[in-house]
Amino acid sequence: MAQQPPPGSGSNVSRRDFLKLLAAAGTVMTFAPFVDWGKFLPNPSGQLKERQKVELPDGSQASVKAFPVNHSEAVIYPKTDDPVLNNEAFRVWQFIRLPVELGGDKNDISSFRMYSQVCLHLWCLWKYWPEEGRKRGECPCHGSLYDPLTGEAFAGPASLQAPPSNVLPMLDLEIDSQGSIWIKPPNWSVNGNGIVGFGRFLT
Amino acid sequence: LGVSLHRENSLVRFLRWVYAGVDRTIFMGLKFTFPGRFVSPLGFLGMITFVLFIILGITGALLMLFYEPILDRAWNSVQTINDVIPYGFHLRNIHYHASNAMVMVALLHMYYQYFSGRYKIRNEILWVTGIILGVLTILEAFTGYDIIFSERAELAISIAASLTNSIPILGPQIREAFFGSGFHDFVLRFYAFHVFFLPIVLLGLMVVHFPRFLVFDVPIVMAITGAVMLTGGVFPVDLGLRFDPNVPPGITVPEWYLTGLYAFLRSAYDKFTTGVAWPGLFIFSLLIIPFIDRYKKFSWKDRPIITAIGITGLAQIIVTTYWGFYIDPDRTKSLLERLVIDPVFLYLVMILLVPLSFGFTYMMIKLAKNAEANAKLQPKKSGSGKSSINLPQRWIFGVLIALIAFQVYLNIAAYYAVINGMKNYSLFIVGIMMLVFAGMFHIFRHGRSMEKAPPPKPAVPTTPLKSKPSSAVATSPSKPALTPPGELSKSTPAISSQDDKPLAPPPVAKGGSSSSQSSSTTQQSVETKTDSKVKMADIPESKSIRE
Repeated sequence: MAQQPPPGSGSNVSRRDFLKLLAAAGTVMTFAPFVDWGKFLPNPSGQLKERQKVELPDGSQASVKAFPVNHSEAVIYPKTDDPVLNNEAFRVWQFIRLPVELGGDKNDISSFRMYSQVCLHLWCLWKYWPEEGRKRGECPCHGSLYDPLTGEAFAGPASLQAPPSNVLPMLDLEIDSQGSIWIKPPNWSVNGNGIVGFGRFLT
Repeated sequence: LGVSLHRENSLVRFLRWVYAGVDRTIFMGLKFTFPGRFVSPLGFLGMITFVLFIILGITGALLMLFYEPILDRAWNSVQTINDVIPYGFHLRNIHYHASNAMVMVALLHMYYQYFSGRYKIRNEILWVTGIILGVLTILEAFTGYDIIFSERAELAISIAASLTNSIPILGPQIREAFFGSGFHDFVLRFYAFHVFFLPIVLLGLMVVHFPRFLVFDVPIVMAITGAVMLTGGVFPVDLGLRFDPNVPPGITVPEWYLTGLYAFLRSAYDKFTTGVAWPGLFIFSLLIIPFIDRYKKFSWKDRPIITAIGITGLAQIIVTTYWGFYIDPDRTKSLLERLVIDPVFLYLVMILLVPLSFGFTYMMIKLAKNAEANAKLQPKKSGSGKSSINLPQRWIFGVLIALIAFQVYLNIAAYYAVINGMKNYSLFIVGIMMLVFAGMFHIFRHGRSMEKAPPPKPAVPTTPLKSKPSSAVATSPSKPALTPPGELSKSTPAISSQDDKPLAPPPVAKGGSSSSQSSSTTQQSVETKTDSKVKMADIPESKSIRE
């Protein structure tokens, strides 16, 4: 085994060691293509390349003109043809038009927010409460409170979590010439739109 | 009296022939012992765990015929199983309660091995695989109650996935890879884990985990099975509310084996630390315990530090398990106030439990050693610890017939209960039936052992008595001064129950669980080794049984 090279011979690789190296390299090369097969595991749905409508529960597309100030609706995104899949919490987003004091009366995209409704603490579904004195997202399970302006948890267990788990995932919105609201293609990463149920870094 | 219980009928002969044929297989590496008399189940809790695993496998396989792991159908299919499918209620309840029993028995098994120091003497691999098996068992139970997809299941899934998310760097990717991207994936994948991935790994590990010496005690196994059914009858598992993403769930707590973890999570401290690092640390310390335990002895009394560590862990588990369940009943407070546990308070209690447990262990060891010393000093009253009920042979027949008659009655009652739709009651009765069967088997075994020639008693060198033991015990349960003082004393449970080797019959075993210290015990056991292998062993040698 331990073949000592003769002194002074420098980096002299024995034939046996060289063969071992080749065998190891061959093994690595054999299995290298399979590494990419790890992509089998995650579900590829949800990777959307085009913008989508903000489709309200009544079936209409949300519009700057029609959507009331200080109001919220649950929106399914990404919406599928399968009602079963549409039913799941991970596709439920809270579409909020901010109250007046937060700039919700402006007729542009700055008065709208769309956050994942999955609470960052333990995945209950929070929702926006427009009542006077609340005007915030509240989670019914453990009482995490969310700032509708940024999606950041400011009280409750979610607020105690280290970033990125204290800021809700948020979708980027845009308005067309008719005033209809669209969802831009998302980037599901903590530095992008965030990861549902995990969070997002505030940039 | 003309009483004889013949057992060499053709069926037994056939089974013997099969048994001899199995000699060529790997199973002969295992040594099964069917105890010929009552032995403490503490010594073969592992086998009970395995039996529960088999029960779970059978009931689970049957439940698979009707369960649908689809987001919107999972809960409904469980409801159908529970309410519509004939005997679905029974199967579901047996499955549920057996899963709880399996976790509980596995934990007991672990702690028994821990405190009796069985993980030593080259049993480290058994211990390590056992810990992994335990973790997987809890995961198996966990995935099981998740796929019902009730509100509670949803909470559990969310906790599991958010904990995975909280793993640094790769957390979200791991979650995405193994759990999928939404609840639809979660249910389907948890189902796949529950019915295939985890059981197959469990089975593979069991092959490594099985020691070569196994005990299969029919009455105890039957009693455990009966207890599971009886519990299912008395406390049928509820369905929970169907999870609806648009309706906020009520306050739910996880199953009891996870409320300890839940208490930590409720302290609202960093999720990774509380939910992943602490349990990970606990599992890791259990894994390495055989390698840091440097005591030469086995008994818990001789390993104070290890015992104290075990007691500390146990105390912390018990306290946090209760704490996880506890929710402030004051409804005027906010939900957050009621649920969140002050981390300072929680961790202070955890730390306080350490000196308390060490003190408690110190006290227990002192007491036990005192009792031991006292017992050695005083001449013991013979038979005081060995009070056994011994029935005359004709009574055995009577009792057996009575039990069979009772079973006939129970059968009729169960039949009518099923007809009248009293599912609880029928499950309860079936549980009782199993228990009665356990008693019946015990009586049968007892009768057969009495019928046979009295077992050799090498432990008692002088038998100055006129009567054979079988007739002697039949007439009076306690014969004073039958044996010289000190001979039987060590095996009497009255002195110390821990020291009593679970499978050692009183006449043979001397050393108790520390039997390897006393060489005489092993010598005696060697003498009785030969015949105990194939026959239903009347005297299982004390050294051989570890499981």
